Amino acid sequence: MSLDLTVDGPRWRAHLERTAAEVPGLVPVCKGNGYGFGLGRLARKAQWLDDRAATAREADPDGPGAGRTPVDTIAVGTYDELAHVRTRFGGSLLVLTPWRPFGTAAETRDPRVVHTVSRLDDLEALLAQDPDARYVLERRTSMLRHGMDARDLWRAADLLRRPAARGGRGLEGVAFHLPLEQGSHLGEVQRLMTDVVAAGLPTTTVWASHLTHHELATLRTQYADYTWRPRVGTSLWLGDRSALSVTSTVLDAHPVERGDAFGYRSRTAPKAGHLLIVSGGTAHGIGLEAPTGESSVKARAAALARGGLDAVGFVRSPFSTDGKQRLFAEPPHMQASMLFLPAGARVPEVGEKVPVRVRYTTTTFDRVVVS
Amino acid sequence: MTTPLHVRPVTEADHLAFVRSRPSASFLQTPAWGQVKTEWRRESIGWFDDRDELVGAALVLYRQLPRLTRYLAYLPEGPLVDWESADLAAWLDPMVAHLRGQGAFGVRIGPPVVVRRWDTAAVKDGIADEGVRLLSEVPPTERSQVGARVVSQLHELGWRPQSVAGGFAAGQPQFVFQLPLRDAAGEPRSEDDLLKGMNQQWRRNIKKADKAGVEVTLGGPADLAAFHALYVHTAERDGFTPRPLSYFQKMQAALGAEEPDRFRLHLAHHEGDLVAATIAIRVGEHAWYSYGASSTEKRDVRGSNAVQWAMVRDALAAGAAVYDLRGITETLDGDDPHVGLIRFKVGTGGEAVELAGEWDLPVNRPLYAAFAAYLRRRGGSS
Repeated sequence: MSLDLTVDGPRWRAHLERTAAEVPGLVPVCKGNGYGFGLGRLARKAQWLDDRAATAREADPDGPGAGRTPVDTIAVGTYDELAHVRTRFGGSLLVLTPWRPFGTAAETRDPRVVHTVSRLDDLEALLAQDPDARYVLERRTSMLRHGMDARDLWRAADLLRRPAARGGRGLEGVAFHLPLEQGSHLGEVQRLMTDVVAAGLPTTTVWASHLTHHELATLRTQYADYTWRPRVGTSLWLGDRSALSVTSTVLDAHPVERGDAFGYRSRTAPKAGHLLIVSGGTAHGIGLEAPTGESSVKARAAALARGGLDAVGFVRSPFSTDGKQRLFAEPPHMQASMLFLPAGARVPEVGEKVPVRVRYTTTTFDRVVVS
Repeated sequence: MTTPLHVRPVTEADHLAFVRSRPSASFLQTPAWGQVKTEWRRESIGWFDDRDELVGAALVLYRQLPRLTRYLAYLPEGPLVDWESADLAAWLDPMVAHLRGQGAFGVRIGPPVVVRRWDTAAVKDGIADEGVRLLSEVPPTERSQVGARVVSQLHELGWRPQSVAGGFAAGQPQFVFQLPLRDAAGEPRSEDDLLKGMNQQWRRNIKKADKAGVEVTLGGPADLAAFHALYVHTAERDGFTPRPLSYFQKMQAALGAEEPDRFRLHLAHHEGDLVAATIAIRVGEHAWYSYGASSTEKRDVRGSNAVQWAMVRDALAAGAAVYDLRGITETLDGDDPHVGLIRFKVGTGGEAVELAGEWDLPVNRPLYAAFAAYLRRRGGSS
């Protein structure tokens, strides 16, 4: 009766462990809908990765696992997400949304939380409110979302030298939020690093997202005097898609003739076939138009075709039977969707599972089953 | 913020007086250097504060664009301003305004500030490591906050870095090799201490030259022809284009007129044969090894090491803080022919130094773009 995410546990865990071993200093990102798995499960998994790293180091101090660094920090998106992970992960909790002197951020005083500070005023306000606060300073990147410019970092360094700032002892590093790969990030990071050196901050730790393995390796040699903390979300949790499958359940099937009326809006069937009612609707994120990240006309058209609600005719749905993507008979309902199966196609049994293509970061599953 | 600074032309005498008032400056920023570069129009400019005191100076070389009365204003290893300033715009803006008034379509500067240093051990480790191809891939012994601030500010102010990866293609080298002549406390090092810092081969070669009876003497204008003959011989052997004798004569005359020991010709003889000859230049506390030549015969008497050691001792005696062996390429790749040059220089026990490099500011964008395209066609060399 549900929209399910089924995870091939051994395969998924192997991918997580492989990633943790390949990316020293890894900071798992657990934000939003938890990449479809849920925030709590990801936090527990991050704790498990840390335990595994400790075991690997203890079991064979000279073995290949000995080099694995602890997973001592996870990153959440917002202060409100902290509640979902706090009891499930024992280490530090980095909040990616910059601290502001209002809202949940201003109410959060937790020695495990590492704040992201992106404005000088906020740095002063945070330290006034909590002199023991732990924080990273975000340097604005070409994304131009949040963050300080080069001058702000110099001023921050001056500010941190004041006694009230405890000489910058709460500073845990500088953070970069890089855009998705468009060519190499190295040039941009080298420039940002020059600004970091120029500021003379009392830290040599850099937190960064969206760097490839190769870019990270290069930066680790060029800036071996710095500690690199790569924040990784998608390629950690969703990096091995073959370990994941999403299925919906067939709830009903009705034969229709051409001209038969059906559905909320009494549409008429264009030709003979079957209506298939499957689990999964707008409440799960099915049929909602979400940006795909691809920007070609073809990709955009495909996205529209998959989920566009305002399309007049029958549009392609993310559900498929017998290897074919089926059409929505009408826009998805809250919990279920109506598909049109043309005459001649095999009609699946009620209770049969059918595969669904979804974006994990926008889908809410009823059940997540990890083997 | 800084009080407004004004830039205007100054006499060569005022320019020189300012250079002398500083611990050191690049020799490319002395008025005399402008006299050497006769094919370029030159101008000495000064920075004046609100009390009209001279607080900065530069030698500007104007390079004309073909068929146009527009120039690239080039300030090699300059200007001589307060690079530690957090407000470089206050220094550079009035300079650019003045140069634009002189017909500059673009400005090229070479801030004489250090960005990173690698000591002998770090460079050696890099050469020994098969996986390392460039100095940048070796963690530096020191990163300079001042240098980073200069680079950060130049980016902020719209200047464009001109460094060309790996090679000597740009104007002045971004990577140089320097032998510090003072210790950490700022005291002059002893000759013994300097010798101890050198690798065994250098020490052995210096001793060998001494035993073989190599004699290093200082030469005057009359000896320049002998230097030049050996230099042309070296150019043929090592495959580079030699400069004419007249260039060195001009250098000797101009630099020598500025300070008696600014230009030093060193000659190493063995039993009457000239086996090596070099030109050293010194401005204040900074001494450079500028040009060198060596014979193909009698290499075993190690004239090159002897003459280098003589230059180091000469610089030390003159109170210099730095003996500068000038450009190296960034490569540490064992297969790159340039690595031999680094190996030779590393033997002195000094350090590799990365400077901020050369930076351009387009003043007239279309003309600057045309000039950049012209340089690319010529193969990038300026």
